[in-house]
Amino acid sequence: MTVEVLSDVEFGMELPAFEPDTTLAASRSFAEAAGYTGNGRFEDHDKARAQGLPSALVPGIMGLGLLTKMINDWAPRGTVKQIDTVFRAPVLADHEHVVTAVVTDIDEDEGQIVLDLSIKNKKDETRVFGTATVAIPLT
Amino acid sequence: MTDIDKLRTEFLDLEFDRAGFVLEADTSIKIAKAYGETRPEFIDPSHPDFQACLPILASLASGRRLPIDFPSLGGLSMDGGKAVSSIAPVKLGVPLTGRTHLHDIYAKSGRSGTMVFLVSRMQLYDNEGTHLASTDSRQVIREKPA
Repeated sequence: MTVEVLSDVEFGMELPAFEPDTTLAASRSFAEAAGYTGNGRFEDHDKARAQGLPSALVPGIMGLGLLTKMINDWAPRGTVKQIDTVFRAPVLADHEHVVTAVVTDIDEDEGQIVLDLSIKNKKDETRVFGTATVAIPLT
Repeated sequence: MTDIDKLRTEFLDLEFDRAGFVLEADTSIKIAKAYGETRPEFIDPSHPDFQACLPILASLASGRRLPIDFPSLGGLSMDGGKAVSSIAPVKLGVPLTGRTHLHDIYAKSGRSGTMVFLVSRMQLYDNEGTHLASTDSRQVIREKPA
């Protein structure tokens, strides 16, 4: 389901949740694109564990990207004006996650909405949370 | 115990870094595709609104970005989060200037101790001096027990 104009949006509406690719291969691919490779924490479980981490991590800004993708897919005419993500706990590579968002405010004068965002693992532990302000066309 | 008020007085809102750079289109496209972006304005250079994806802007705030004379607070430092505020599309392949300051310093205390939060903000400008975007990096330092 997508929204085209602001009147399509309802308070409390949940965006279609999705399960992103947070495999080690996806994490490595993102890290290579962003220039984050080298010390192994996003590319290699053993190298990450040697640094005291539980396993290889998904880069924090990849989580921001996954949240942005969800918004962009849901509101193809919308524009993310602001996104703020809090890294509550590491997003571990090769663990399954779900990305969710819910509409918490609608400003009909400004043509903007506010979303609460989260990335949780399969244990329902919140790893990343945040908010986004999104401009949606009035017509 | 860190004197938060003193740090705020000495360091908040003072620009401590100014750097020029160019964000490359190829890099932004690779990042966008790597997180699954499909909107053409982020992955198709021929799109009239082709622009930088938000994660590449967030990446500008990565690393320990503090004033050179900022005191060491000790403790364990962690990446506490990233934020991007978009004012206008950031074009790729053009000169940009990033001006960085400490936007906020605050502490939270709980049963497990005190955590100090340092928010560095980079403001992005084009060659005409137009403010295009701001990126925040939230560094969290867990204080060592006294």
